[in-house]
Amino acid sequence: MTQSSFNQELQKREGFRSELCAAQAIAVRIWRVELSYPLSVLWFIAMPFVWLIPMLLTGNAVSGGPESVNLETLTGTSDWVSYVAIGTAVLGLTMSLMWGTANAFRREQNAGTLETLMTTPIKKGTLIWGALLHNIQHGGLGVVLQLVGSMLLFGVSLNIWGILPALAIIALMVIGMQGIVLTLVCVVLLAKQGWMVIEFLASGLTLLAPMAYPLAVFPPIIQYIATASPLTWSVDAFRNFLIFGLAGPAANQAVAALLILDTIYLLIGMVLFKRTEKYVRSKGALTQF
Amino acid sequence: MQRLSADAPPNNQSGVSSEIVGFTPRTIDWNAVRVFAEKNLRIAMRYPANILVWAFLPLMWFAPYVLMMVAIGGGSSVHFTEISGFEDFIAFAVIGWFVYTYVDTTIWSIGQNFRWEQFSGTLEPLFVAPVPRTSILIGAAISDTVSTSISALIMLGTSCIIFGVGYAVTAIVPIILVLMMMVVALFGFGFMIAGLIIVFKDPSVLTELIDNVVFALSPVSYPIQVLPRAAQVAAYALPATIAIMTIRELAIGGAAEVVSFLSTIGALGLLIVAFWVLGLLCFRYAERWTKKRGSMGGF
Repeated sequence: MTQSSFNQELQKREGFRSELCAAQAIAVRIWRVELSYPLSVLWFIAMPFVWLIPMLLTGNAVSGGPESVNLETLTGTSDWVSYVAIGTAVLGLTMSLMWGTANAFRREQNAGTLETLMTTPIKKGTLIWGALLHNIQHGGLGVVLQLVGSMLLFGVSLNIWGILPALAIIALMVIGMQGIVLTLVCVVLLAKQGWMVIEFLASGLTLLAPMAYPLAVFPPIIQYIATASPLTWSVDAFRNFLIFGLAGPAANQAVAALLILDTIYLLIGMVLFKRTEKYVRSKGALTQF
Repeated sequence: MQRLSADAPPNNQSGVSSEIVGFTPRTIDWNAVRVFAEKNLRIAMRYPANILVWAFLPLMWFAPYVLMMVAIGGGSSVHFTEISGFEDFIAFAVIGWFVYTYVDTTIWSIGQNFRWEQFSGTLEPLFVAPVPRTSILIGAAISDTVSTSISALIMLGTSCIIFGVGYAVTAIVPIILVLMMMVVALFGFGFMIAGLIIVFKDPSVLTELIDNVVFALSPVSYPIQVLPRAAQVAAYALPATIAIMTIRELAIGGAAEVVSFLSTIGALGLLIVAFWVLGLLCFRYAERWTKKRGSMGGF
Protein backbone atom coordinates (compact mmCIF):
# COMPACT_ATOMS: atom_id res chain seq x y z
CA MET A 1 0.00 0.00 0.00
CA THR A 2 1.43 3.39 -1.00
CA GLN A 3 1.55 6.33 1.40
CA SER A 4 -1.24 8.23 -0.37
CA SER A 5 -3.59 5.24 -0.55
CA PHE A 6 -2.84 4.53 3.14
CA ASN A 7 -3.78 8.12 3.97
CA GLN A 8 -6.97 7.76 1.93
CA GLU A 9 -7.84 4.61 3.86
CA LEU A 10 -7.31 6.55 7.09
CA GLN A 11 -9.57 9.34 5.91
CA LYS A 12 -12.32 6.84 5.07
CA ARG A 13 -12.07 5.19 8.51
CA GLU A 14 -15.27 5.88 10.41
CA GLY A 15 -18.17 4.19 12.17
CA PHE A 16 -18.83 2.37 15.42
CA ARG A 17 -17.01 -0.79 14.36
CA SER A 18 -13.78 1.07 13.68
CA GLU A 19 -13.92 2.75 17.07
CA LEU A 20 -14.67 -0.58 18.73
CA CYS A 21 -11.61 -2.13 17.03
CA ALA A 22 -9.48 0.77 18.23
CA ALA A 23 -10.87 0.47 21.77
CA GLN A 24 -10.16 -3.27 21.75
CA ALA A 25 -6.60 -2.62 20.53
CA ILE A 26 -6.08 -0.17 23.42
CA ALA A 27 -7.50 -2.72 25.89
CA VAL A 28 -5.21 -5.47 24.57
CA ARG A 29 -2.19 -3.18 24.77
CA ILE A 30 -2.92 -2.36 28.45
CA TRP A 31 -3.24 -6.11 29.14
CA ARG A 32 0.14 -6.71 27.47
CA VAL A 33 1.79 -4.03 29.60
CA GLU A 34 0.21 -5.41 32.80
CA LEU A 35 1.07 -9.01 32.05
CA SER A 36 4.70 -8.17 31.40
CA TYR A 37 5.12 -7.43 35.14
CA PRO A 38 4.93 -10.72 37.09
CA LEU A 39 4.25 -8.85 40.34
CA SER A 40 1.20 -7.21 38.77
CA VAL A 41 -0.13 -10.64 37.83
CA LEU A 42 0.47 -11.87 41.39
CA TRP A 43 -1.29 -8.83 42.81
CA PHE A 44 -4.20 -9.29 40.42
CA ILE A 45 -4.72 -12.84 41.70
CA ALA A 46 -4.10 -12.04 45.38
CA MET A 47 -5.96 -8.71 45.53
CA PRO A 48 -9.53 -9.99 45.95
CA PHE A 49 -8.44 -12.21 48.84
CA VAL A 50 -6.12 -9.82 50.68
CA TRP A 51 -9.00 -7.35 50.75
CA LEU A 52 -11.60 -9.91 51.73
CA ILE A 53 -9.71 -11.90 54.39
CA PRO A 54 -9.37 -9.05 56.97
CA MET A 55 -13.11 -8.39 56.57
CA LEU A 56 -13.93 -12.05 57.15
CA LEU A 57 -11.61 -12.17 60.18
CA THR A 58 -13.28 -9.06 61.59
CA GLY A 59 -16.74 -10.49 61.01
CA ASN A 60 -15.71 -13.78 62.56
CA ALA A 61 -14.38 -12.02 65.67
CA VAL A 62 -17.75 -10.32 66.15
CA SER A 63 -20.11 -13.14 65.17
CA GLY A 64 -18.19 -16.19 66.42
CA GLY A 65 -19.73 -18.29 63.62
CA PRO A 66 -21.20 -18.18 60.12
CA GLU A 67 -24.57 -16.78 61.24
CA SER A 68 -25.59 -13.35 62.48
CA VAL A 69 -28.98 -12.72 64.05
CA ASN A 70 -28.56 -8.98 63.77
CA LEU A 71 -27.79 -9.14 60.05
CA GLU A 72 -30.85 -11.33 59.51
CA THR A 73 -33.03 -8.70 61.16
CA LEU A 74 -31.57 -6.01 58.90
CA THR A 75 -31.33 -7.84 55.57
CA GLY A 76 -33.25 -11.12 55.69
CA THR A 77 -30.14 -13.31 55.50
CA SER A 78 -28.15 -14.55 58.48
CA ASP A 79 -25.25 -15.85 56.33
CA TRP A 80 -22.89 -12.92 56.83
CA VAL A 81 -19.96 -14.63 55.04
CA SER A 82 -21.92 -14.84 51.75
CA TYR A 83 -23.30 -11.35 52.32
CA VAL A 84 -19.82 -9.83 52.70
CA ALA A 85 -18.02 -12.00 50.11
CA ILE A 86 -20.59 -11.31 47.36
CA GLY A 87 -21.02 -7.65 48.26
CA THR A 88 -17.29 -6.90 48.24
CA ALA A 89 -16.73 -8.85 45.00
CA VAL A 90 -17.53 -5.71 43.00
CA LEU A 91 -14.98 -3.64 44.95
CA GLY A 92 -12.11 -4.54 42.61
CA LEU A 93 -14.22 -3.77 39.55
CA THR A 94 -15.21 -0.40 41.00
CA MET A 95 -11.59 0.49 41.75
CA SER A 96 -10.49 -0.61 38.26
CA LEU A 97 -13.18 1.56 36.66
CA MET A 98 -12.49 4.60 38.81
CA TRP A 99 -8.68 4.54 38.80
CA GLY A 100 -7.84 2.81 35.52
CA THR A 101 -10.29 4.66 33.32
CA ALA A 102 -10.06 8.08 34.95
CA ASN A 103 -6.28 8.00 34.63
CA ALA A 104 -6.27 6.79 31.00
CA PHE A 105 -5.07 10.16 29.69
CA ARG A 106 -2.57 10.62 32.49
CA ARG A 107 -1.07 7.17 31.91
CA GLU A 108 -0.54 7.88 28.22
CA GLN A 109 0.87 11.29 29.12
CA ASN A 110 3.38 9.75 31.52
CA ALA A 111 4.36 7.20 28.89
CA GLY A 112 4.83 9.98 26.33
CA THR A 113 2.23 8.48 23.98
CA LEU A 114 -0.69 10.87 24.49
CA GLU A 115 0.16 13.25 21.66
CA THR A 116 0.77 10.37 19.25
CA LEU A 117 -2.56 8.80 20.19
CA MET A 118 -4.38 12.11 19.84
CA THR A 119 -3.12 12.50 16.29
CA THR A 120 -4.37 9.06 15.23
CA PRO A 121 -7.72 9.04 13.40
CA ILE A 122 -9.72 7.74 16.39
CA LYS A 123 -12.39 9.67 18.23
CA LYS A 124 -11.02 11.32 21.37
CA GLY A 125 -13.37 9.39 23.60
CA THR A 126 -12.16 6.06 22.19
CA LEU A 127 -9.08 6.24 24.39
CA ILE A 128 -11.38 6.33 27.42
CA TRP A 129 -13.64 3.58 26.04
CA GLY A 130 -10.57 1.41 25.37
CA ALA A 131 -9.39 1.85 28.95
CA LEU A 132 -12.94 1.12 30.11
CA LEU A 133 -13.02 -2.07 28.05
CA HIS A 134 -9.78 -3.21 29.64
CA ASN A 135 -10.98 -2.35 33.14
CA ILE A 136 -14.25 -4.20 32.63
CA GLN A 137 -12.26 -7.29 31.61
CA HIS A 138 -9.71 -6.82 34.41
CA GLY A 139 -12.24 -5.99 37.13
CA GLY A 140 -14.73 -8.56 35.82
CA LEU A 141 -12.13 -11.32 36.09
CA GLY A 142 -11.47 -10.13 39.65
CA VAL A 143 -15.19 -10.48 40.46
CA VAL A 144 -15.23 -14.03 39.06
CA LEU A 145 -12.01 -14.88 40.93
CA GLN A 146 -13.36 -13.63 44.25
CA LEU A 147 -16.71 -15.38 43.86
CA VAL A 148 -15.15 -18.71 42.83
CA GLY A 149 -12.50 -18.41 45.58
CA SER A 150 -15.20 -17.60 48.14
CA MET A 151 -17.20 -20.65 47.07
CA LEU A 152 -14.19 -22.95 47.31
CA LEU A 153 -12.51 -21.52 50.40
CA PHE A 154 -15.28 -20.03 52.52
CA GLY A 155 -18.29 -22.15 51.56
CA VAL A 156 -20.22 -19.32 49.91
CA SER A 157 -23.13 -20.62 47.83
CA LEU A 158 -24.58 -18.77 44.85
CA ASN A 159 -28.09 -19.05 43.44
CA ILE A 160 -27.54 -20.06 39.79
CA TRP A 161 -30.85 -18.48 38.69
CA GLY A 162 -29.52 -15.13 39.81
CA ILE A 163 -26.29 -15.21 37.80
CA LEU A 164 -27.66 -13.75 34.54
CA PRO A 165 -29.67 -10.98 36.23
CA ALA A 166 -26.59 -10.21 38.38
CA LEU A 167 -24.54 -9.80 35.19
CA ALA A 168 -27.18 -7.45 33.82
CA ILE A 169 -26.90 -5.41 37.02
CA ILE A 170 -23.12 -5.25 36.55
CA ALA A 171 -23.69 -3.91 33.02
CA LEU A 172 -26.00 -1.22 34.38
CA MET A 173 -23.47 -0.42 37.09
CA VAL A 174 -20.67 0.01 34.52
CA ILE A 175 -22.80 2.45 32.50
CA GLY A 176 -23.62 4.58 35.55
CA MET A 177 -20.05 4.48 36.83
CA GLN A 178 -18.78 5.47 33.39
CA GLY A 179 -20.72 8.72 33.73
CA ILE A 180 -18.94 9.39 37.03
CA VAL A 181 -15.60 8.33 35.56
CA LEU A 182 -15.99 10.73 32.62
CA THR A 183 -16.39 13.52 35.15
CA LEU A 184 -13.19 12.32 36.84
CA VAL A 185 -11.40 12.33 33.47
CA CYS A 186 -12.31 16.02 33.25
CA VAL A 187 -10.70 16.59 36.66
CA VAL A 188 -7.55 14.79 35.50
CA LEU A 189 -7.48 16.78 32.25
CA LEU A 190 -7.81 20.07 34.10
CA ALA A 191 -5.80 19.40 37.26
CA LYS A 192 -3.41 16.83 35.73
CA GLN A 193 -2.84 15.20 39.14
CA GLY A 194 -6.41 14.33 40.02
CA TRP A 195 -5.55 11.47 42.39
CA MET A 196 -6.93 13.26 45.44
CA VAL A 197 -10.35 13.73 43.88
CA ILE A 198 -10.39 10.16 42.53
CA GLU A 199 -9.33 8.75 45.91
CA PHE A 200 -11.98 10.70 47.84
CA LEU A 201 -14.74 9.89 45.35
CA ALA A 202 -13.80 6.20 45.09
CA SER A 203 -13.52 5.86 48.87
CA GLY A 204 -16.74 7.81 49.42
CA LEU A 205 -18.75 5.75 46.92
CA THR A 206 -17.46 2.45 48.30
CA LEU A 207 -18.22 3.62 51.84
CA LEU A 208 -21.80 4.51 50.89
CA ALA A 209 -22.30 1.31 48.88
CA PRO A 210 -23.66 -1.47 51.08
CA MET A 211 -20.84 -3.91 50.28
CA ALA A 212 -20.30 -5.40 53.73
CA TYR A 213 -23.25 -3.91 55.60
CA PRO A 214 -26.80 -2.80 54.80
CA LEU A 215 -27.70 0.86 54.39
CA ALA A 216 -29.72 0.58 57.60
CA VAL A 217 -26.54 1.05 59.68
CA PHE A 218 -26.26 4.64 58.41
CA PRO A 219 -28.15 7.62 59.79
CA PRO A 220 -31.23 8.45 57.60
CA ILE A 221 -29.63 11.47 55.90
CA ILE A 222 -26.68 9.37 54.70
CA GLN A 223 -29.07 6.66 53.51
CA TYR A 224 -30.77 9.23 51.26
CA ILE A 225 -27.44 10.48 49.91
CA ALA A 226 -26.34 6.88 49.23
CA THR A 227 -29.36 6.25 46.98
CA ALA A 228 -27.99 8.85 44.53
CA SER A 229 -25.08 6.54 43.74
CA PRO A 230 -25.48 3.85 41.07
CA LEU A 231 -22.99 1.74 43.03
CA THR A 232 -25.37 1.54 46.00
CA TRP A 233 -28.22 0.09 43.94
CA SER A 234 -25.90 -2.16 41.93
CA VAL A 235 -24.21 -3.78 44.93
CA ASP A 236 -27.50 -4.43 46.67
CA ALA A 237 -29.23 -5.87 43.58
CA PHE A 238 -26.16 -7.90 42.52
CA ARG A 239 -25.96 -9.55 45.93
CA ASN A 240 -29.71 -10.08 46.22
CA PHE A 241 -29.80 -11.87 42.86
CA LEU A 242 -26.85 -14.10 43.78
CA ILE A 243 -28.25 -14.97 47.23
CA PHE A 244 -32.02 -15.10 46.65
CA GLY A 245 -32.14 -15.70 42.88
CA LEU A 246 -35.02 -14.20 40.91
CA ALA A 247 -37.04 -13.85 44.11
CA GLY A 248 -34.64 -11.19 45.38
CA PRO A 249 -36.23 -8.24 47.18
CA ALA A 250 -36.91 -4.97 45.33
CA ALA A 251 -35.25 -6.10 42.07
CA ASN A 252 -37.55 -4.02 39.85
CA GLN A 253 -37.00 -0.95 41.97
CA ALA A 254 -33.20 -1.38 41.70
CA VAL A 255 -33.33 -1.81 37.90
CA ALA A 256 -35.57 1.25 37.49
CA ALA A 257 -33.34 3.35 39.76
CA LEU A 258 -30.24 2.25 37.87
CA LEU A 259 -31.78 3.08 34.49
CA ILE A 260 -32.64 6.60 35.67
CA LEU A 261 -29.26 7.18 37.39
CA ASP A 262 -27.32 5.77 34.41
CA THR A 263 -29.08 8.15 32.02
CA ILE A 264 -28.42 11.17 34.23
CA TYR A 265 -24.78 10.37 35.05
CA LEU A 266 -23.83 9.33 31.54
CA LEU A 267 -25.35 12.44 29.98
CA ILE A 268 -23.64 14.74 32.47
CA GLY A 269 -20.33 12.89 32.08
CA MET A 270 -20.38 13.00 28.27
CA VAL A 271 -21.29 16.68 28.10
CA LEU A 272 -18.61 17.57 30.65
CA PHE A 273 -15.97 15.48 28.88
CA LYS A 274 -16.73 17.01 25.49
CA ARG A 275 -16.55 20.55 26.85
CA THR A 276 -13.45 19.94 28.98
CA GLU A 277 -11.55 18.27 26.16
CA LYS A 278 -12.41 21.20 23.87
CA TYR A 279 -11.37 23.70 26.54
CA VAL A 280 -8.07 21.97 27.30
CA ARG A 281 -7.25 21.76 23.58
CA SER A 282 -8.06 25.45 23.08
CA LYS A 283 -5.63 26.26 25.89
CA GLY A 284 -3.01 23.94 24.40
CA ALA A 285 -2.73 22.24 27.76
CA LEU A 286 -3.56 18.67 26.78
CA THR A 287 -0.06 17.30 27.17
CA GLN A 288 1.16 19.57 29.94
CA PHE A 289 2.27 17.93 33.15
CA MET B 1 30.86 14.49 60.26
CA GLN B 2 33.70 16.92 59.63
CA ARG B 3 32.29 20.34 58.86
CA LEU B 4 32.77 21.51 55.29
CA SER B 5 33.46 25.16 54.74
CA ALA B 6 32.23 26.70 51.48
CA ASP B 7 35.09 29.20 51.39
CA ALA B 8 37.83 26.69 52.26
CA PRO B 9 40.72 27.18 49.82
CA PRO B 10 41.44 24.34 47.42
CA ASN B 11 44.72 22.69 48.25
CA ASN B 12 45.45 20.87 45.04
CA GLN B 13 45.28 21.40 41.33
CA SER B 14 41.88 19.78 40.85
CA GLY B 15 40.30 22.32 43.18
CA VAL B 16 39.12 19.76 45.75
CA SER B 17 39.23 21.09 49.30
CA SER B 18 41.29 19.31 51.94
CA GLU B 19 38.13 18.68 53.96
CA ILE B 20 36.59 16.62 51.16
CA VAL B 21 39.82 14.75 50.48
CA GLY B 22 40.20 13.90 54.14
CA PHE B 23 36.51 13.25 54.69
CA THR B 24 35.59 10.06 56.49
CA PRO B 25 31.84 9.47 56.84
CA ARG B 26 30.28 8.46 60.13
CA THR B 27 27.55 5.85 60.37
CA ILE B 28 24.95 8.46 61.27
CA ASP B 29 25.32 12.21 60.94
CA TRP B 30 22.73 13.77 63.25
CA ASN B 31 23.24 17.22 61.80
CA ALA B 32 22.31 15.88 58.37
CA VAL B 33 19.35 14.04 59.93
CA ARG B 34 18.06 17.34 61.29
CA VAL B 35 18.58 19.14 57.97
CA PHE B 36 16.74 16.45 55.98
CA ALA B 37 13.90 16.29 58.49
CA GLU B 38 13.54 20.08 58.41
CA LYS B 39 13.62 20.17 54.61
CA ASN B 40 10.93 17.49 54.29
CA LEU B 41 8.76 19.10 56.96
CA ARG B 42 9.08 22.47 55.27
CA ILE B 43 7.82 20.91 52.03
CA ALA B 44 5.03 19.04 53.89
CA MET B 45 3.85 22.24 55.60
CA ARG B 46 3.64 23.97 52.22
CA TYR B 47 0.75 21.60 51.43
CA PRO B 48 -1.43 21.61 54.58
CA ALA B 49 -4.28 20.12 52.52
CA ASN B 50 -2.24 16.92 52.19
CA ILE B 51 -2.10 16.52 55.97
CA LEU B 52 -5.89 16.95 56.15
CA VAL B 53 -6.41 14.50 53.28
CA TRP B 54 -4.36 11.88 55.11
CA ALA B 55 -6.38 12.54 58.27
CA PHE B 56 -9.72 11.83 56.59
CA LEU B 57 -8.88 9.22 53.96
CA PRO B 58 -7.98 6.45 56.47
CA LEU B 59 -11.28 7.22 58.19
CA MET B 60 -13.09 6.32 54.98
CA TRP B 61 -11.06 3.12 54.71
CA PHE B 62 -11.69 1.83 58.20
CA ALA B 63 -15.31 3.02 58.57
CA PRO B 64 -16.54 0.01 56.48
CA TYR B 65 -14.97 -2.34 59.05
CA VAL B 66 -16.73 -0.60 61.93
CA LEU B 67 -20.04 -0.50 60.05
CA MET B 68 -19.74 -4.18 59.20
CA MET B 69 -19.06 -5.00 62.86
CA VAL B 70 -22.19 -3.07 63.83
CA ALA B 71 -24.26 -4.84 61.16
CA ILE B 72 -23.09 -8.30 62.22
CA GLY B 73 -22.78 -7.87 65.95
CA GLY B 74 -25.39 -5.22 66.70
CA GLY B 75 -24.48 -3.15 69.72
CA SER B 76 -22.22 -5.71 71.39
CA SER B 77 -20.80 -9.19 70.91
CA VAL B 78 -20.33 -11.79 73.63
CA HIS B 79 -17.92 -13.74 71.43
CA PHE B 80 -15.80 -10.67 70.78
CA THR B 81 -15.61 -9.90 74.50
CA GLU B 82 -14.64 -13.51 75.27
CA ILE B 83 -11.74 -13.65 72.83
CA SER B 84 -10.48 -10.07 73.10
CA GLY B 85 -11.33 -9.07 76.67
CA PHE B 86 -12.90 -5.83 75.42
CA GLU B 87 -16.62 -5.07 75.36
CA ASP B 88 -16.72 -2.15 72.94
CA PHE B 89 -15.52 -3.41 69.56
CA ILE B 90 -15.75 0.04 68.01
CA ALA B 91 -13.34 1.54 70.56
CA PHE B 92 -11.17 -1.54 69.97
CA ALA B 93 -11.02 -0.96 66.20
CA VAL B 94 -10.58 2.83 66.25
CA ILE B 95 -7.43 2.75 68.41
CA GLY B 96 -6.10 -0.09 66.27
CA TRP B 97 -6.48 2.03 63.14
CA PHE B 98 -4.86 5.01 64.85
CA VAL B 99 -1.71 2.98 65.57
CA TYR B 100 -1.80 1.33 62.15
CA THR B 101 -1.58 4.76 60.48
CA TYR B 102 2.08 4.82 61.52
CA VAL B 103 2.67 1.40 59.96
CA ASP B 104 1.06 2.61 56.75
CA THR B 105 3.39 5.62 56.73
CA THR B 106 6.43 3.39 57.17
CA ILE B 107 5.40 1.27 54.23
CA TRP B 108 4.23 4.01 51.87
CA SER B 109 6.19 7.13 52.82
CA ILE B 110 9.59 6.48 54.36
CA GLY B 111 10.73 4.05 51.72
CA GLN B 112 9.28 6.18 48.92
CA ASN B 113 11.38 9.23 49.84
CA PHE B 114 14.15 8.24 47.45
CA ARG B 115 11.56 7.84 44.71
CA TRP B 116 10.37 11.40 45.27
CA GLU B 117 13.96 12.67 45.26
CA GLN B 118 14.36 10.83 41.96
CA PHE B 119 11.27 12.53 40.51
CA SER B 120 12.59 15.89 41.74
CA GLY B 121 15.90 15.17 40.02
CA THR B 122 17.79 15.44 43.33
CA LEU B 123 18.56 11.78 44.03
CA GLU B 124 21.96 11.64 42.33
CA PRO B 125 23.19 14.93 43.89
CA LEU B 126 22.03 13.58 47.26
CA PHE B 127 23.92 10.36 46.76
CA VAL B 128 27.17 12.14 45.93
CA ALA B 129 26.83 14.44 48.96
CA PRO B 130 29.28 13.53 51.76
CA VAL B 131 26.57 12.36 54.17
CA PRO B 132 25.66 8.81 55.12
CA ARG B 133 22.53 7.50 53.38
CA THR B 134 21.28 6.39 56.79
CA SER B 135 21.04 10.04 57.82
CA ILE B 136 18.88 10.81 54.80
CA LEU B 137 16.60 7.89 55.65
CA ILE B 138 16.33 8.77 59.33
CA GLY B 139 15.67 12.42 58.51
CA ALA B 140 12.89 11.41 56.13
CA ALA B 141 11.50 8.96 58.69
CA ILE B 142 11.37 11.64 61.41
CA SER B 143 9.62 14.19 59.18
CA ASP B 144 7.11 11.57 57.99
CA THR B 145 6.42 10.57 61.60
CA VAL B 146 5.74 14.19 62.59
CA SER B 147 3.29 14.81 59.72
CA THR B 148 1.67 11.40 60.28
CA SER B 149 1.19 12.21 63.96
CA ILE B 150 -0.76 15.36 63.05
CA SER B 151 -2.96 13.42 60.58
CA ALA B 152 -3.41 10.47 62.96
CA LEU B 153 -4.45 12.70 65.87
CA ILE B 154 -7.00 14.52 63.69
CA MET B 155 -8.29 11.13 62.54
CA LEU B 156 -8.53 9.84 66.11
CA GLY B 157 -10.38 12.96 67.28
CA THR B 158 -12.82 12.81 64.36
CA SER B 159 -13.41 9.08 64.89
CA CYS B 160 -14.14 9.64 68.58
CA ILE B 161 -16.81 12.19 67.62
CA ILE B 162 -18.34 10.16 64.76
CA PHE B 163 -18.38 6.78 66.51
CA GLY B 164 -18.92 8.11 70.01
CA VAL B 165 -15.92 6.42 71.60
CA GLY B 166 -13.59 7.71 74.28
CA TYR B 167 -10.21 6.71 75.69
CA ALA B 168 -8.45 7.07 79.03
CA VAL B 169 -5.69 9.66 79.04
CA THR B 170 -4.32 8.58 82.42
CA ALA B 171 -1.74 6.34 80.75
CA ILE B 172 -0.71 8.81 78.07
CA VAL B 173 3.02 8.67 78.95
CA PRO B 174 3.37 4.87 78.56
CA ILE B 175 1.24 5.07 75.39
CA ILE B 176 3.62 7.62 73.88
CA LEU B 177 6.61 5.52 74.96
CA VAL B 178 5.25 2.35 73.31
CA LEU B 179 4.21 4.29 70.20
CA MET B 180 7.67 5.84 69.89
CA MET B 181 9.39 2.49 70.29
CA MET B 182 7.14 0.97 67.64
CA VAL B 183 7.83 3.86 65.27
CA VAL B 184 11.60 3.52 65.79
CA ALA B 185 11.41 -0.23 65.13
CA LEU B 186 9.33 0.46 62.02
CA PHE B 187 12.04 2.81 60.72
CA GLY B 188 14.07 -0.36 60.17
CA PHE B 189 11.17 -1.78 58.18
CA GLY B 190 11.10 1.46 56.17
CA PHE B 191 14.82 1.07 55.38
CA MET B 192 14.10 -2.37 53.91
CA ILE B 193 11.38 -0.92 51.71
CA ALA B 194 13.68 1.95 50.68
CA GLY B 195 16.14 -0.72 49.51
CA LEU B 196 13.40 -2.40 47.48
CA ILE B 197 12.49 0.93 45.93
CA ILE B 198 15.99 1.83 44.76
CA VAL B 199 16.23 -1.63 43.17
CA PHE B 200 12.74 -1.92 41.64
CA LYS B 201 12.18 1.86 41.23
CA ASP B 202 8.38 1.77 41.36
CA PRO B 203 7.34 -1.32 43.24
CA SER B 204 3.82 0.01 43.92
CA VAL B 205 2.37 -3.47 43.52
CA LEU B 206 4.93 -4.97 45.90
CA THR B 207 4.32 -2.19 48.43
CA GLU B 208 0.57 -2.75 48.14
CA LEU B 209 1.07 -6.46 48.72
CA ILE B 210 3.32 -5.89 51.77
CA ASP B 211 0.87 -3.35 53.21
CA ASN B 212 -2.09 -5.69 52.85
CA VAL B 213 -0.27 -8.68 54.32
CA VAL B 214 0.99 -6.62 57.29
CA PHE B 215 -2.53 -5.27 57.77
CA ALA B 216 -4.04 -8.75 57.75
CA LEU B 217 -1.49 -9.93 60.34
CA SER B 218 -1.87 -6.91 62.62
CA PRO B 219 -4.68 -7.02 65.19
CA VAL B 220 -6.21 -3.75 63.98
CA SER B 221 -9.92 -4.50 63.91
CA TYR B 222 -9.85 -8.03 65.32
CA PRO B 223 -7.99 -9.71 68.18
CA ILE B 224 -4.96 -11.79 67.26
CA GLN B 225 -6.75 -14.93 68.51
CA VAL B 226 -8.84 -15.13 65.33
CA LEU B 227 -5.72 -15.69 63.21
CA PRO B 228 -4.48 -19.23 62.50
CA ARG B 229 -1.60 -20.33 64.76
CA ALA B 230 1.16 -19.86 62.13
CA ALA B 231 -0.14 -16.39 61.28
CA GLN B 232 -0.13 -15.50 65.00
CA VAL B 233 3.57 -16.39 65.20
CA ALA B 234 4.31 -14.22 62.15
CA ALA B 235 2.21 -11.41 63.61
CA TYR B 236 4.29 -11.31 66.80
CA ALA B 237 7.41 -10.68 64.71
CA LEU B 238 5.92 -7.32 63.70
CA PRO B 239 6.44 -4.39 66.10
CA ALA B 240 2.92 -3.18 65.31
CA THR B 241 1.26 -6.25 66.83
CA ILE B 242 2.74 -5.88 70.32
CA ALA B 243 2.38 -2.10 70.22
CA ILE B 244 -1.28 -2.15 69.12
CA MET B 245 -2.16 -4.68 71.84
CA THR B 246 -0.43 -2.71 74.61
CA ILE B 247 -1.61 0.72 73.50
CA ARG B 248 -5.16 -0.61 73.23
CA GLU B 249 -5.00 -1.97 76.77
CA LEU B 250 -3.63 1.33 78.08
CA ALA B 251 -6.03 3.53 76.12
CA ILE B 252 -9.21 1.59 76.84
CA GLY B 253 -8.46 0.25 80.31
CA GLY B 254 -6.36 3.19 81.46
CA ALA B 255 -3.70 0.87 82.93
CA ALA B 256 -1.68 -2.25 82.20
CA GLU B 257 0.05 -4.88 84.34
CA VAL B 258 3.61 -3.86 85.15
CA VAL B 259 5.13 -7.21 84.11
CA SER B 260 3.17 -7.23 80.84
CA PHE B 261 4.17 -3.61 80.12
CA LEU B 262 7.84 -4.24 80.85
CA SER B 263 7.89 -7.33 78.66
CA THR B 264 6.36 -5.22 75.85
CA ILE B 265 9.14 -2.66 76.26
CA GLY B 266 11.75 -5.46 76.22
CA ALA B 267 10.23 -7.09 73.14
CA LEU B 268 10.03 -3.77 71.29
CA GLY B 269 13.67 -3.07 72.23
CA LEU B 270 14.70 -6.38 70.68
CA LEU B 271 12.60 -5.70 67.58
CA ILE B 272 14.22 -2.26 67.20
CA VAL B 273 17.68 -3.86 67.11
CA ALA B 274 16.56 -6.67 64.79
CA PHE B 275 14.69 -4.43 62.33
CA TRP B 276 17.44 -1.79 62.20
CA VAL B 277 20.17 -4.34 61.58
CA LEU B 278 18.09 -6.13 58.95
CA GLY B 279 16.85 -2.86 57.41
CA LEU B 280 20.29 -1.28 57.12
CA LEU B 281 21.82 -4.48 55.74
CA CYS B 282 19.06 -4.74 53.13
CA PHE B 283 19.40 -1.08 52.20
CA ARG B 284 23.20 -1.21 51.86
CA TYR B 285 23.01 -4.35 49.77
CA ALA B 286 20.36 -2.75 47.52
CA GLU B 287 22.45 0.42 47.20
CA ARG B 288 25.58 -1.53 46.19
CA TRP B 289 23.55 -3.67 43.78
CA THR B 290 22.04 -0.59 42.10
CA LYS B 291 25.34 1.30 41.91
CA LYS B 292 27.08 -1.68 40.30
CA ARG B 293 24.48 -1.69 37.54
CA GLY B 294 24.58 2.07 37.18
CA SER B 295 20.82 2.33 37.52
CA MET B 296 20.62 4.66 40.51
CA GLY B 297 18.96 7.54 38.66
CA GLY B 298 17.00 5.36 36.23
CA PHE B 299 13.20 5.34 36.26
